[in-house]
Amino acid sequence: MSLLRGKGIRKTYLTGEVQIEVLKGLDFEIVEGEFIVILGQSGSGKTTLLNIMGGMSTPTSGELYYRGEPLHNADEVKLNAYRRSSVGFVFQHYNLIPNLTAYENIKLVADIAENPLSVNEVLQDMGLEDWAGHFPSQLSGGQQQRVAIGRALVKNPDLLLCDEPTGALDSKTGIQVLRALLKLSRENRKTIVIITHNIEIAKMAQRVFYLKDGLFEKVEVNDYPLKPEELLW
Amino acid sequence: MVVLWKKLLREILSNKGVYFSCILVIVIGLLSYTSMSIVLENLERAQGKFYEDTQFADGFIRLTGYPENQVNSLENLTGVEKVEGRIVKDARLPEDEEGRNRSLRLVSMPFPEQPQLNRVELIKGNIPRGNSPELLLDPKFMAANQLAVGDSLTLILEGRVVHFTIVGEAQSPEFIYAMRSAQDLYPDPETFGIAYVPTSFYKNLVKEGNLVNDLVFSLEPGGNFEDVKLLLEKELAPYGLQSIFPQKDQTSHAILQGELTNLATMANSLPMVFLGVSSIILYTMLRRLMEQQRGSIGTMKAFGFTNGEIIRHYLNYPLFIGGVGGVLGGLSGVGSAYPLTTLYGEFFALPGLESTFSIKYFLFGMVFSLGFSLLSGLKVSLDILRLDPTEAMRAPAPLSTRKTPFEKIPHLWQRFSSLTQMGLRNAFRVPTRSIFTIVGMAVVFSLMTVSWSLNNMMDKLTVYQFREIQTYDVKIAFNSPTFSESLRYTLAHEPGVSHVEPLLEVPATLRNQWLEKDVALIGIYPNSTLYHVLNQKGEKIPLPSDGIILSERLAKLLNVKKGDLILVESPFARNYEEGQEKSLVVQEVVPQYIGINGFMEIGTLQKLLEQEGIATSAILQVYEGDIGALKKKYQDADLVGSVESVKESLAMVEEMIETYGFTIYFLAVLAGVAGFALIYTSNIISLSERQRELASLRVLGLTPKEIMVVISSEQWLLTSCGIILGIPLSFALMEGMAVSMSSDLFAIPKEIPLGAFAGAVGGTLFSVWVAQTRAYRKVKTLPFVEILATKE
Repeated sequence: MSLLRGKGIRKTYLTGEVQIEVLKGLDFEIVEGEFIVILGQSGSGKTTLLNIMGGMSTPTSGELYYRGEPLHNADEVKLNAYRRSSVGFVFQHYNLIPNLTAYENIKLVADIAENPLSVNEVLQDMGLEDWAGHFPSQLSGGQQQRVAIGRALVKNPDLLLCDEPTGALDSKTGIQVLRALLKLSRENRKTIVIITHNIEIAKMAQRVFYLKDGLFEKVEVNDYPLKPEELLW
Repeated sequence: MVVLWKKLLREILSNKGVYFSCILVIVIGLLSYTSMSIVLENLERAQGKFYEDTQFADGFIRLTGYPENQVNSLENLTGVEKVEGRIVKDARLPEDEEGRNRSLRLVSMPFPEQPQLNRVELIKGNIPRGNSPELLLDPKFMAANQLAVGDSLTLILEGRVVHFTIVGEAQSPEFIYAMRSAQDLYPDPETFGIAYVPTSFYKNLVKEGNLVNDLVFSLEPGGNFEDVKLLLEKELAPYGLQSIFPQKDQTSHAILQGELTNLATMANSLPMVFLGVSSIILYTMLRRLMEQQRGSIGTMKAFGFTNGEIIRHYLNYPLFIGGVGGVLGGLSGVGSAYPLTTLYGEFFALPGLESTFSIKYFLFGMVFSLGFSLLSGLKVSLDILRLDPTEAMRAPAPLSTRKTPFEKIPHLWQRFSSLTQMGLRNAFRVPTRSIFTIVGMAVVFSLMTVSWSLNNMMDKLTVYQFREIQTYDVKIAFNSPTFSESLRYTLAHEPGVSHVEPLLEVPATLRNQWLEKDVALIGIYPNSTLYHVLNQKGEKIPLPSDGIILSERLAKLLNVKKGDLILVESPFARNYEEGQEKSLVVQEVVPQYIGINGFMEIGTLQKLLEQEGIATSAILQVYEGDIGALKKKYQDADLVGSVESVKESLAMVEEMIETYGFTIYFLAVLAGVAGFALIYTSNIISLSERQRELASLRVLGLTPKEIMVVISSEQWLLTSCGIILGIPLSFALMEGMAVSMSSDLFAIPKEIPLGAFAGAVGGTLFSVWVAQTRAYRKVKTLPFVEILATKE
């Protein structure tokens, strides 16, 4: 079933008197439970697309539907409700709240969710049960990113959007994080969209969108996705 | 949300120094508000009840003598309800071991009945029996002189020794603040008190016992004082009428009322200053917090927190600080209201004055504290609405790097080290915060200046009066106007007396069109060396041979200036009749800090009164060692009302000033705390904003001391601007204080001595130095390696 569908998505920024068109008309459809990678170099428009998909901004033109509900013309209240109930974000630099422990960072989001998962179970799933009382500054990069994934996951969203989730990690820790994401996709039937410039990560996706200069260059279907540990960093 | 509260508490704990100082400033503000408001309410309640219970009179009359049996007839005058006639005279106590000059004001009362007006409240003992040598004493005099009910008391009245028995302690509404004269400024219960004596006994002790020299009256409901006054003036003119004045001008009431007004002004203004400073600190701190946490705000938005939820969370910071400060300040205010009320009770003898717990002012204080705190957080919190989540998660755009005004003067700019240049530039990069800090420092500085000026104020009100104006050593006041060359000759030939001058003080009404004022005119001997009239600069000015010199406040009340004509009428004039006015030219207007008077050359005043050669007292220059003997000789003389030694008065006043000294230093310290809090916040924020830059400098090999130059140069610039702005603000504050607090009894000097500015500069710099010492400790422990390893 179609979870997220985009039609002619364009995004233009006005910098002084200069108009910059970042996205130039993108069409896509993401099905529930898919593991998708959007691959592109810096400046290709990946983050802008992810922000639109996650309801953090709206397209300048074009249409976007989540489970058939239009988002392209939604107001801030509707977008916020969408983010609150349906989307989980994972950021490259984790964006954890520094003076909350791992447990509290996850609990914070669980508190606003309608049907949250158990915080302790999420911590267990992420292999962080022993680190629950630690502050971000006391955790390694991989642990921090797993807390960030746990935080995105705890509200039980249908769509998980990850912006360069391994960008700040070494290969070993990166693989740990990707394994956690893949587990979510397989076992919890979550739809996962990862944006990255790392071509190796694309090999574990079911579909890969190649984004270049605001346009999809191609979309590849990967019949034999690799396991994270098979990736060559 | 419990997690968000944990986040808030941890953030506050990690910056406890700044938040604590902010709470401290709020506590100071609320402590002053709550305690003063409660004390004010206690005083007003006690005053209202006491006045009502004792039937405090609406009007007061002083005259030479009015037949006692005619007093009731005055009640027939339109507008007059009740009239009570009394004999009021001062009696002396025999000198004690310390040689103090102690006296009691004896007020006649129709005991065993209470009078209709100005009754006394019996605190201890019994009401005296009629026609018996029994009296009631005011409790303060009793306590100060270790007297008890049942003790006997010897008094010298009009040269006659009388033995009394103290049968009780009582208080009258007329003498809540019992002073010998309005010039005294403070009550001194050790040497002066009030006694209430049965009229039937009293009238036999004095020469003209069938005459009363003091009347009090009440008005009929809706009666007009001025209308009644006109009728009474006409009626009483032949009886040596000296003055008729309403309740509002009665000395004790006027002082109590003035204190209540000042207390109300202070209770409303002082807390606002401190809450204003705390708002500046909170605003600055929250703005920085918001800048630091823009990533967290973006993340919360991305996860679906609504703007309302995030704003509420950030508003909880000021509300928490305001709440804690409010509770602590309110409770300490409620707590200190008890000792403060007791302290007021030492000055004002108000029966029934007691401190009660008031939840009202505690709650009002909380509302103020929360309101101010909320206001400081509102603007910053509302900025969250404008913050786009995607933008929030990116590092903020660098601050503008326009050239500072200093850089436009290359000669000056090049003199600064690179580190100083960095600090100065920072002050201009965040103009809003810099302006707030400057304004806050200016307020703190002006508060300190005014605190230090209180020293000068007290000096002008007291010591100045005795050292520069009344330079005589002894004043012998006569029972009735008199003086003669032979008296002068006699006094001048007393041992130790080197100079004698007559002084004439008479009541008079001064009028300019519809404006009029009852004051005392002071006639001074030509080229006097014992009583001086001084101009603004403190220089002695000669007395004109015609015309009058007015005090600034009197000139203002009458709306006259130098060269204008005023009309003068005095009951001391020969063949005085109502409306017998003479005109005088205002020759000069001079500052006067105690009382409001008109000054004339004694001969000119005598001529005006058509009473050649009279004087109401003699002022003398006496060798210190001979003052005691002189006092002893003259204080019992028939002609003499009192003998006053200026040295004794000065010593008493100086003792009193010492107790006020505490208030001055206390206020200055409070202002210093606020200044410290402001600068400390500014330092910490500057440090946190620039820690990456400063960490880089540490890595480059700069010492913490050198790094401190960056922070301190910014702070010194802001402090200097604060001080400069604080100077005009101090003048404005002083002017405001002078206008609101000056009364007919005393005028607050407007000028600020250089010493006060020096004290304020010293205090401000000290608080800056303390704040910088604290900041230096932080610089020394800056974890520069970790800072550089974290992402921006």
